[in-house]
Amino acid sequence: MSQQAPQEIGQLSFGLMDPEEYREMSATKIITADTYDDDGFPIDMGLMDPRLGVIDPGLECKTCGKHSGSCNGHFGHIELAAPVIHVGFAKLIRRLLRGTCRECARLCLTEDEKREFSENLDRTRALGQDLNDVTKAAIRQARKKDRCPHCGEPQYDIQHEKPTTYYEVQQVLSSEYSDRIAAAMEPDEDSERVTPTELAEETDIDPGRIQEILSGDFRPREEDRKAIESALDVDLTEEDMNKLMPSDIRDWFEAIPDEDIEVLGINSDRSRPEWMILTVLPVPPVTARPSITLDNGQRSEDDLTHKLVDIIRINQRFMENREAGAPQLIIEDLWELLQYHVTTFMDNEISGTPPARHRSGRPLKTLSQRLKGKEGRFRGSLSGKRVNFSARTVISPDPTLSLNEVGVPDRVAKEMTQTMNVNERNLEEARRYVSNGPESHPGANYVRREDGRRLKVTEKNCEELAEKVEPGWEVSRHLIDGDIVIFNRQPSLHRMSIMAHEVVVMPYKTFRLNTVVCPPYNADFDGDEMNMHALQNEEARAEARVLMRVQEQMLSPRFGENILGAIQDHVTATYLLTNQNPHFNETQALDLLRATRIDELPEPDGVEDGEEYWTGRTVFSELLPDSLDLEFTSSAGDTVVIEDGELIEGTIDEDAVGAFGGEVVDTIAKQYSRTRGRIFINEVSSVAVRTIMHFGFSISIDDESIPPEAQAQVDEAIEEANERVEELIETYERGELESLPGRTIDETLEMKIMQTLGQARDSAGDIAEDHFDDDNPAVVMAESGARGSMLNLTQMAGCVGQQAVRGERINRGYENRTLSHFEENDLSADAHGFVEHSYREGLNPKEFFFHAMGGREGLVDTAVRTSKSGYLQRRLINALSELETQYDGTVRDTSDTIVQFEFGEDGTSPVEVSSSEEEDAVDVDQIADRVLESEFQDEREKEQFLGETREPTNLSEHADDWWLAQSDD
Amino acid sequence: MVDVSNHTLVPDHTLLDDGELEEVLEEYNIEKTDLPKIKRTDPALPKEADTGDVVKITRDSRTTDQAVVYRLVVE
Ligand SMILES: [Mg+2]
Ligand SMILES: [Zn+2]
Ligand SMILES: [Zn+2]
Repeated sequence: MSQQAPQEIGQLSFGLMDPEEYREMSATKIITADTYDDDGFPIDMGLMDPRLGVIDPGLECKTCGKHSGSCNGHFGHIELAAPVIHVGFAKLIRRLLRGTCRECARLCLTEDEKREFSENLDRTRALGQDLNDVTKAAIRQARKKDRCPHCGEPQYDIQHEKPTTYYEVQQVLSSEYSDRIAAAMEPDEDSERVTPTELAEETDIDPGRIQEILSGDFRPREEDRKAIESALDVDLTEEDMNKLMPSDIRDWFEAIPDEDIEVLGINSDRSRPEWMILTVLPVPPVTARPSITLDNGQRSEDDLTHKLVDIIRINQRFMENREAGAPQLIIEDLWELLQYHVTTFMDNEISGTPPARHRSGRPLKTLSQRLKGKEGRFRGSLSGKRVNFSARTVISPDPTLSLNEVGVPDRVAKEMTQTMNVNERNLEEARRYVSNGPESHPGANYVRREDGRRLKVTEKNCEELAEKVEPGWEVSRHLIDGDIVIFNRQPSLHRMSIMAHEVVVMPYKTFRLNTVVCPPYNADFDGDEMNMHALQNEEARAEARVLMRVQEQMLSPRFGENILGAIQDHVTATYLLTNQNPHFNETQALDLLRATRIDELPEPDGVEDGEEYWTGRTVFSELLPDSLDLEFTSSAGDTVVIEDGELIEGTIDEDAVGAFGGEVVDTIAKQYSRTRGRIFINEVSSVAVRTIMHFGFSISIDDESIPPEAQAQVDEAIEEANERVEELIETYERGELESLPGRTIDETLEMKIMQTLGQARDSAGDIAEDHFDDDNPAVVMAESGARGSMLNLTQMAGCVGQQAVRGERINRGYENRTLSHFEENDLSADAHGFVEHSYREGLNPKEFFFHAMGGREGLVDTAVRTSKSGYLQRRLINALSELETQYDGTVRDTSDTIVQFEFGEDGTSPVEVSSSEEEDAVDVDQIADRVLESEFQDEREKEQFLGETREPTNLSEHADDWWLAQSDD
Repeated sequence: MVDVSNHTLVPDHTLLDDGELEEVLEEYNIEKTDLPKIKRTDPALPKEADTGDVVKITRDSRTTDQAVVYRLVVE
C-alpha cells in the first residue's frame, strides 16, 4: 500500500547545510546546461536528468523506481567552479567579518566579555526574547577593538556593498604624498613657510631622506608618515578598498573556532559559518520545476530551469577560462557573473541588482518569489487555498425559512455532493439516488466501487449503475434538505461570520436566508454574496451541527448577549402589537399565530360588541415559555412585566426582542436553551410579519411635514438663534466677550455660537416633534428602536443644523471666508455651515455645499477606518492564534509560556456573562435559586433542606403512619 | 515623582518569597521564565523588586472579586 501510517513530527531544526550533505543527497551531478536531445529525450547529467524524478505519467523514476505522482523527485547538484556568497546570509556574513580577527579569525572579545555575552544569550533564550539584540551587541563590542585581543593584529573596517561584495578598508599612504607635503609647507594665513630643514628637525628625520620624500622618490614608512602628518597638520593617507573574494571569506570563516560562534548564537554542531559561502549548489528536482508542453509541441521550461541553465553556462565558461590561464580581470568578471546568477536564483527582487529577465522581458520568478507575499507558498498555498465543495452566489431574504436554514439553489445542490457509505439499510435509498442520475435533483454524480474505482454517473448509465450498487460502495449524492453546510460572509471579523446552516433546496439562483441572521453576518441584500461549503466527513458534520449551527451562535462572545433577534419591521410590528394593546377577533388572532406552533387560542380577554377578542399582549404571550418571569424597561420607556410566561404590561420592542441584547431573547437563550431561543425568535419574526401585514405600515414625505403654524415657530426659533449669534459676534468685536476657563477668546466665541445653534436645532426638533402623532410611522420606528432616531426626525422636519468638519464649524475654503459669496471674516451662522432648513423643505445651494463637506468627511473616515482596522485585525489574529486554554485552566502559547492564569482572569464564558456594566456579571442568587428549584420536587423538601422547616420528630414506631403523612404526601 | 502604587487603579504588587514562588511554579508545573513578565522599571513595582524576582498582582475583578496573577521581573 502506498499509504503509510501517519507520523508525528518530533522536532524541526533550522540551520545551515553542509556542502557534503548536498553531495550526499544528490541523485546526480549536473554538468551540462542542455535539457533534451534532438529526439526529445532528457540528457544524462543535464537539468532534466531522469534521476531527478519523473513528471511524465507512465515513466519510471530512475532513482526510486516510483511513477509520477508518487515520486517526490530528487535533488541533484552543481559543483561551482568558485565559491559564491549566499545572498540570504549577506548580513550575517558582514557581521562575522566585522566581529572576527582578520588574522586568527577569532572573535575579537576578551574571555570575560565572551562569557558575559553567552550568559546574556542563555538568559534571553530562556525568556523567549529576541536573540538578535544580544548578538548585535556582541558584534558592536567586538568592532570597537582596534587590535585583536588574541593575536594583536590591527583590525580594519569592513564595508558591505549590497548585495554580496565586501571590502576591507585600510588607511594607506596616498600616491600624491609628495604634493600634499609640499602644499602644506607653503605659507598661508596662519602659518609661515616651513623649510625642509625645519621639517627634518621637527620630525627627527634625516634631511636627505626629507628631500627624497619631497621629490617622491621615497615612500615614508608609517612612523615617519605620522610624524610628518602631525608636524604639518596634514593627512597623507587615502582609503584603500581591498575587495574580499568569496574564497578569502570562506578561508577566513573556516578558521573561526566553534566556541566563538556559539557566543554569536550559532549552534556549531549544526551550522558552520563557511557553509554560508556556497561551493555546491543543490539542483531542485524536476517535480519542483516541471516543463510544460505548449500547443505547438514546443517545450516551455520553468523559470528555475532557465536560471539553472544560466548558472551552468557561466560555471563552465569560468572553468574553461581558468584552465586556459585567462587574465585575472576576465576571471573576476566571470566570477561576478556567476555570483549574480546564483544570487538571482535565490532571490530575484534584490534592491540595487537588476532582476534576471525572461526573453519576453518578464522578470523571472525564482525561489524567494515562490514563497513571498500574498500569492506565495505560505499565504497563498498553505494558510489559504482554494477548495472543492464550495459555492458562492448572491443572497436574498426568505422569512419563511428558520434561522437555522439556508436556501440553496438546486443547481448548486446538484454539484455539491455528500458521500453515502452504502450498507444494507440505505441500499434502496442509494440506488434511488444513482438511478436519478446527475441531472435530476436528488441524484448522484459519482459512485466508488468496493475496489476503489471511481465511476461517473451519467444520464446514460445511471439506471444500469443503480442496479449494481452494493453495500460497501460509496455514492456521492446531491445535497438534500436537512444536510448541514457551512455558510460564510466576508469580512469574517468574528466567529459568527461563519455558521452552519441546514440545507433547504430551492429553485432559482440565490442563497436564501432568514433576515434574522443578517446582524451576525452583517449582511444586507443590495447585492451581497456569500460562500457555502459542503462538509465532507461525519466528524466535520457532527462538529458543525453541535458547535456551529446558527442557534448555537445566538449569544455573542463580544458582549455576552444575544446577537440574533428581531430587526427592523419585526420590531415595528411587536411595538404595534403590544404598545396600545389592540384587540383582535378570533380570525385575526389565529391569523397572527398561523406560522407558529400555536393552533389553539387561550381564553379570550373579553367580549366586545358581542364578539370575543384577544389583545396583542395575549397573542404575544403565546410565544413565551410558560414559566418565564421578567421585568425590565423597554426602549419606548415603559416597564415590561412578564409573569409566568404572560406579558402583563409594557411594550415589546428593540429592548425586549431585538438583536444585540434584547432582554427576552437573551433570557430565554440563557435560562432555557438555545433551541427554545431559536423557536422564540422564529415565531416572533413570523408573528411580526403577520402583524405588520395586518396593520399596514408605510412612510412618505408627508409624514414628516408639519403644520404652517409649527413651521412659523421653527422659523422663529432659528431667527432668534441667528440674532443671538449676531449679538455674540458684536460683543466679541467690541472686545467684551469673556473667555471661558482654559480657552482663548476665539475658541470661546466658537463654542458659544455652536452651543446657541445646537439649542436652536434641538428646539426646532422639539417643536416639530410636538406636532407628530404617536402613530406617525417615523415616530413609531424611532420609539421602538426599529430604525432611525428622533434626531433623524428633527433633521427631516425641523432643522438640519450645524455641519462640521473635524468637529468644528466649517472654516475652510477661501482666504478668510468659506465661499466667495461671503464677506471676509464673516462669523455668522450661515457663513460657517449652519443649515437652517429641514431635509423636507430642502437645502439652499450654500447649505447644500456645506452639507456635502460634512458628508464627505464621514465617507473618508469610514474608508480609512475599515482599511486600518482590517490590518489591525489581521495582526491581532496572528498574534493570538496560537493561544490555547489548557486543562489546568491556564491560557498558554505554544512554548507553554503562561498568558493568563485563568481564562479571562475569571474563567467565565464570555458568551454566558454579559459584559454590560449595569447588571451583575454573574447573578449567583438567581443561579442558586434555579439549582434548588430543579433539585427538589416539592416545596417542603426544599424548605427542609434549607433548614426553614424542621423535619417532624419520630418518637415511636407507632407514630410511623402519622410521621409519613407529615413528611411525604 | 508620584508614587503610582497609591493610586486606586493600580492593583497590589507584592514580592513573592522563595517558598511561595516554589509553590506557584509547582502548581502550574512551569519554569520561572514561563511566567508573564514585567519590566523592572515599571512604576507599579515595589522599590525593592529586582530582576529575577516574581511579583504577585492582586486585582479587583467584576466576576471573581479578586484575580491573582504572577509576573517575573525582567530588565
Ligand atoms: Mg451590502
Ligand atoms: Zn524518484
Ligand atoms: Zn587575531
